[in-house]
Amino acid sequence: MIDYFALALTHGLLVIAFWRLLGRDDLDTESLGPGPGDEAPEETPAAPDPAARFRLPGRVPRA
Amino acid sequence: MLDLAITLFTLALLALGLRRPYLWVLAYLYIDILAPQKISYRLLAALPISLIAFVLAFAGWALLDDKRDSRFTLRQGLIGVLMLYCGVTTMMADFPVEAADKWAWVWKALIFALFLPLTLRTRLRIESAALVMVLAVGAIIIDGGIKTIAGGGGYGELHLFINDNIGLYEGSIISAVAIAVIPLVLWLMKHSTIFPSDWRVKLFGAALIFACVLIPIGTQARTGLLCIGLLGVLSLRTVKRRFLYITLAVVGALVAVPFLPDSYTKRMSTIENHGSDESASTRVAVWMWTLDYVKDHPFGGGFDAYRGNKLRIELREGQGGQVDVTETFDKARAYHSSYFEMLGEQGWPGLILWLWLMLSGLWQMERIRARWKRRTGPGETWQAPLANALQQSLLIYMAGSLFVGIAYQPFCYMLIGLQCGLWSYLRRIDSPVRPAISAPSRLRLGNAVAAC
Repeated sequence: MIDYFALALTHGLLVIAFWRLLGRDDLDTESLGPGPGDEAPEETPAAPDPAARFRLPGRVPRA
Repeated sequence: MLDLAITLFTLALLALGLRRPYLWVLAYLYIDILAPQKISYRLLAALPISLIAFVLAFAGWALLDDKRDSRFTLRQGLIGVLMLYCGVTTMMADFPVEAADKWAWVWKALIFALFLPLTLRTRLRIESAALVMVLAVGAIIIDGGIKTIAGGGGYGELHLFINDNIGLYEGSIISAVAIAVIPLVLWLMKHSTIFPSDWRVKLFGAALIFACVLIPIGTQARTGLLCIGLLGVLSLRTVKRRFLYITLAVVGALVAVPFLPDSYTKRMSTIENHGSDESASTRVAVWMWTLDYVKDHPFGGGFDAYRGNKLRIELREGQGGQVDVTETFDKARAYHSSYFEMLGEQGWPGLILWLWLMLSGLWQMERIRARWKRRTGPGETWQAPLANALQQSLLIYMAGSLFVGIAYQPFCYMLIGLQCGLWSYLRRIDSPVRPAISAPSRLRLGNAVAAC
């Protein structure tokens, strides 16, 4: 009974995980913005920079 | 029924890889950790499912995956050299038949650790590999945790799915691995994008960590207690309120002790008084034999070279001035330590390569942690905690390795593969030269880096 419970619980979660992975484009191709689980930035820039979405994380743009 | 369910699950997993070939890599992780073919002893056991998953994972990467973002790192090179060296010592082993048996699974663990980082080229791939590893080993841990609470534990008596002492189903090994996996569980609870943090994730994560801590109690493996202690100390580095943490840890330990079975506390007390414990004294005798052995065989004796040992073991019992010394003899005793396992089997070159692999992992994770820990921007908060978690996991594995022969344990090489993947990925996205992005088709990170 305990075996069944442990297997059912973890395999149920694995099924959900695989199902969600199937629908995620960023599994194979990464966009440059934050992922769904990322924390919000501490400061929001006053004016959005259109080039920012193409910038790699943590990079300071060259002058 | 269980047989059918496990078989269908595994086959469905392989079928999903037809849509997303990377899922075959995850399928291999699942199969290699949980060994569903051992749980399902009829349908799935009839198929070479592990080999099928590995071939699919490799073929999926080689034929269908974008390899422009794959990087070969120094540590993968070390794994490759270690694998070749092990192959050579196997050919010249003291016990060729036994050595060939061990080589048959060791090379797979090493080659997969070498291959895994090549596939980990997006954040989601790194996260999903960590998640599958945690959930697959979590099945064994949850099983063992509940059985421990239900009173089914005991040294060598905790039965986990299969009645076999192999791989992660061996008591001392699962004790070390269960504690080593806790930092990864904590990271997933906070940073997972597949299961974003909410009350259900926190509840499951907390219950899983509790089950992890129960495993060393259920298996009564002394290694587990050492690993728990080390994790407690390592956590001091990252907890925000250290005094509160220490207070809670002490109170928790004091509250838990009365609930521990007598057999457990008796066995743990032999850590302090190891001279009277035959198991501990045998280890010391084997280690001394190994040091003598490599004086004549500096390149090791190949896998299972311990079979040649003949030991004289002294047991000391008594208190105060009255100490009784009894002598016993034993032979062909295993190393019970990864360090001596490496030394005896692969000699000094093997031990140096292995230590280099381990220590470079600690160094790389420290570098990542230092580089990313102060970043707070979007998409920049998960890297340092993951490096920290992987560093802690490796340290716990290295501590567990002091008293358990897990130098070639595949789960540990998966952790190393994750480290290599994370290191390679972050070096790529954090390289000082910015890519020139000129067209929509070039918006993908991988293509952009490849274009520099």
